Amino acid sequence: MERKKYILSFPSEIVEIPITHTFMSRFGLWTNILRAKIEPSSGGKLVIELRGEGDMIESAVRYAEAEGVTVRPLEHDVAVSRELCVDCGACVSICPSQALSLDPCTFRLVFEPDKCVVCGSCAEVCPVAAIRVDF
Amino acid sequence: MTAALRTYEDINTRIEGGDVVVVTAEELSVMVAEGGLHAAAREVDAVTTGTFSPMCSSGVILNFGHSDPPIRMQDIRLNGVPAYGGLAAVDTYLGATSVSKARPEYGGAHVIEALLRGEQVRLDASSSGTDCYPLHDIKTHVTLASMNEAVLFNPRNAYQNYSAAVNTSPRTIRTYMGTLLPRMGNMTYATSGQLSPLLKDPSFRSVGLGTRIFLGGAQGYVVWHGTQHAPAVREVEGKPIVGGGTLATMGALREMSPDFLRAAFFPGYGVTLFVGLGLPIPILDEAMAAAAAVPDTGLYTQIVDYSVPHRDRPSLGVVSYAELRSGSVSVGGCEVPTSSLSSYAKAREIAERLRDDIAAGRFLLQKPVWTLPPTGGRRTLEMG
Ligand code: SF4
Ligand code: SF4
Repeated sequence: MERKKYILSFPSEIVEIPITHTFMSRFGLWTNILRAKIEPSSGGKLVIELRGEGDMIESAVRYAEAEGVTVRPLEHDVAVSRELCVDCGACVSICPSQALSLDPCTFRLVFEPDKCVVCGSCAEVCPVAAIRVDF
Repeated sequence: MTAALRTYEDINTRIEGGDVVVVTAEELSVMVAEGGLHAAAREVDAVTTGTFSPMCSSGVILNFGHSDPPIRMQDIRLNGVPAYGGLAAVDTYLGATSVSKARPEYGGAHVIEALLRGEQVRLDASSSGTDCYPLHDIKTHVTLASMNEAVLFNPRNAYQNYSAAVNTSPRTIRTYMGTLLPRMGNMTYATSGQLSPLLKDPSFRSVGLGTRIFLGGAQGYVVWHGTQHAPAVREVEGKPIVGGGTLATMGALREMSPDFLRAAFFPGYGVTLFVGLGLPIPILDEAMAAAAAVPDTGLYTQIVDYSVPHRDRPSLGVVSYAELRSGSVSVGGCEVPTSSLSSYAKAREIAERLRDDIAAGRFLLQKPVWTLPPTGGRRTLEMG
């Protein structure tokens, strides 16, 4: 059993295709939509977590790509710049999924991408603009 | 007061001789816990502290040098951010919180950071013109190196203590204490607790005009008490739990670094400046060691509801810095996640830098000309 998060970008022509339904019915995957931004006119984006057998996840991704969906693994989309971050911790209590914390020994910021749901709240509150969220 | 153990002169002689014993306030706490106060006070000559927090009442005094023909600048903008035009011809004060009209998220603090990074800053100034200053307008660029003078002067830094903030209302509020989530969804606090300069010398015995400090990465000075210095506040175990003392500080901007002076923007509130500041405390007697050694478990602040739109906001209780730093605090049976706005990692880096500079003979302790007033409250502004 594997767990992976992806960002699916849909061109406007195909927002009608029931991608997530097919992930479940054809590939036997458990899906969890973490975030969605879909407008019928301009297409949209979906952050989705897939759980299931590794080869089934891969086949599902290939299927989505064949349908014209751009699929990117999620971890690249929230980035904390070590150079800019001052470890103030302002982002920590804002994060809804405990993906951000201060290390109890060094008091430096720790980001755990696995827990992140790409909500963007941290980037909004960071006083030095050290967090970049692409979504 | 306990028996004198050493004087400033003794400590500086030992610094120059290379055998001074200097530790951070965190390290002193451990020494006292392990070997007792009596032994630690006799072993340690000086203790260092640090803080790295947003401090709004900060800014720079600049003198641009004279152009030819000369101008008496009245309306002054640096990268679009207004600076004060009510001083002599080419003098100005640029406050950290002054913001650009076109870009409200860009302010004086960002200009200060840009100067420190060696960037060119656009200067636009205008004047009604006089016989001795005929020029009406100037549009040019300046850098920190090109300017005649650049001095950091902060009217209020390093609050002795500061309340922790929550929001009990049903909507998110945006404050200088950061974004506060509805129904006590989070709590923010803003001092470095056991490393916080004025909490470790709570009666200001080493702090006053002329005290040499770490400021923005360089050596700076305490030049007065800060505005709103109000030591007469509610205390727990002899230490203030709100506000208390403050410092006015000064230092050469050219010697400072963007690692320890950093522009900050809080959405819905505005621009401010992270200031890195460290105070060295001479251990003149055992009482000074005792105060400097108090750990986070013995330092408290009060929890204040920022959704109340009044000067005097209700307190929801008292909390220790150890609880705040643990990541969550229990208020009325609810676990509330906490966030610091002040960087403890940077505070520690500052205390350690100051310790190492003293140990290496690069930083001598300066006895102040006079120490900060230990008592006194603050006046308020009445309307109408
Ligand atoms: S994007 Fe949201 S979930 Fe991810 S780290 Fe930031 S606040 Fe947490
Ligand atoms: S709010 Fe920004 S600067 Fe502060 S810890 Fe988070 S990422 Fe770092």
